[in-house]
Amino acid sequence: MTEPLLQIQQVSKSYYHKTGWFRGRRSLALEPISFDLHAGETLAIMGETGSGKSTLAKLIAGVEMPSSGQFLLRGEVLEPYNYQQRCRHIRMIFQDSLSSLNQQTTIGQQLLEPLRFNTLLTLAEQQQKVLTTLCQVGLLPEHYNFYPHMLSSGQQQRVCIARAIILEPQIIVADEALVALDPSIRAQIINLILDLQQEMGISFILISHSAEIVKHVADKILILHHGKLVEFGTTEALLSNPQQQLTRLLLGGE
Amino acid sequence: MPTANIYYQQREPSPLHQIWLHMSANPFALTALYAFALLLVMMVCSPLLAPFSPDQQFAEHISQAPSWHHTGQIKFLFGTDDLGRDLLSRIIAGSVYSLGYPILAVVIAALIGIPIGAWAAMSRGVQSSALNHFLDVINSIPSLLLVLLVIAILGPALQHVMLAIVIVLIPQFIHGVYNAIHDQRYQDYVMASRLNGCSRWYILTRVIFPNITAALVMQITLALSTAIFDIAALGFLGLGVQAPAPEWGTMLARSLEHVYLSPWTMILPGLALFLTLLSINVLGDSIRAAIQDRVRSV
Repeated sequence: MTEPLLQIQQVSKSYYHKTGWFRGRRSLALEPISFDLHAGETLAIMGETGSGKSTLAKLIAGVEMPSSGQFLLRGEVLEPYNYQQRCRHIRMIFQDSLSSLNQQTTIGQQLLEPLRFNTLLTLAEQQQKVLTTLCQVGLLPEHYNFYPHMLSSGQQQRVCIARAIILEPQIIVADEALVALDPSIRAQIINLILDLQQEMGISFILISHSAEIVKHVADKILILHHGKLVEFGTTEALLSNPQQQLTRLLLGGE
Repeated sequence: MPTANIYYQQREPSPLHQIWLHMSANPFALTALYAFALLLVMMVCSPLLAPFSPDQQFAEHISQAPSWHHTGQIKFLFGTDDLGRDLLSRIIAGSVYSLGYPILAVVIAALIGIPIGAWAAMSRGVQSSALNHFLDVINSIPSLLLVLLVIAILGPALQHVMLAIVIVLIPQFIHGVYNAIHDQRYQDYVMASRLNGCSRWYILTRVIFPNITAALVMQITLALSTAIFDIAALGFLGLGVQAPAPEWGTMLARSLEHVYLSPWTMILPGLALFLTLLSINVLGDSIRAAIQDRVRSV
């Protein structure tokens, strides 16, 4: 057994709702959870609405900070609020691609951003890298000068994927990234993700409602219910022998 | 070396060019733009453009009607006032007080207010609340009243009016910028940039700032019309620019006494004031609309 890529150790998240001047109510969105992710693996996180799966994705990507616990990447602790350390290894694809792109700057400028702050490349090398990444996700070099609103939703999603892979990370977290797309584009994007995974050996963490996609791409499935880990195992195991009623329901109730 | 472009190439117009394309499609916006440009040229070149000195009195032409009236003379295009001063020269010279000084006040207030507003919006907790709400108190008082208060303490003079207007405008800028940035700050694209490892300065200036230009233009327009209106109002009340100076509000106040005998001394400065305010508001609104349209339609 090799060393896991990402270890999630007793990570939990609670939100503090202010109800009065000094009083507040603490609500637990995610109970302490631990699991491992291996290199090149695709993990699907499933659960009902409000089960904490989005919270878990945001915690892993570093959008939000855990209330307790820690993440270990190949044994190295990922510090909270250290975005530069995290973004070299873990990148996120947002649910709504249009709102996650800056409307007022060009695609090229936005793809230069991570390179500018995380690499020592010269500007010409950075631009070259952006152009090759655009080609890699099936866009054209011309899209460098486009603004996000000029692209279709599928192309916008591709830009988001380009932004995620441009730093050659080890893990990409996709938070319901495929929900807003229509089936044919969704299929394209899934194939793109699978191709990239084979090419670059990236691990994916996929948050999804769709049992078909999960069955198609995931190696392992993690089921959450009310912030608690219900079941965690390989896709075959969960499909053939689900231990919980919820797992059976979420995976299609066969 | 031949530089001709032999290939058909569709060039994406630059953002500024796109805004211009949107604006030039609107005739009202263009009219306002040209009117405002004309006013600016008039203000800058006022000593060259004015046919006479604004204080020069023509004893034999007291209360001369404008040139289009049958008693009027072409020498005095807009007529003269009760002291025999050429009205056209006074209106042209007055644009320095009524348009130039408000622009100066807005520039100063923007230079102070925008950084403070941005700082308040980018910080969180007590620091942000203190910066933002401390100035809310000032915001709750009508601007003219507050300017009057400052004048009451310092005494009526142009520099005091300027100081008062700058003081009044700063909280408006802070508030406007604070709200605009705060609306954007928790959007996904800002989070994405943060996850890119961008510095806070880069996020503020290159990521958020281009997205609040529409709000900023609106704020500057509002501030400019407030400043023009306040200076004119104070001049009218005799608390701002003092009488011999050709400020439009002061001229209006002076014309009150003989409005029945020489109505043009009231109507013409009033018209100048009206056209200035109208062109600024229409222009500001159409620039804002053009900035917003740029990303909405392809």
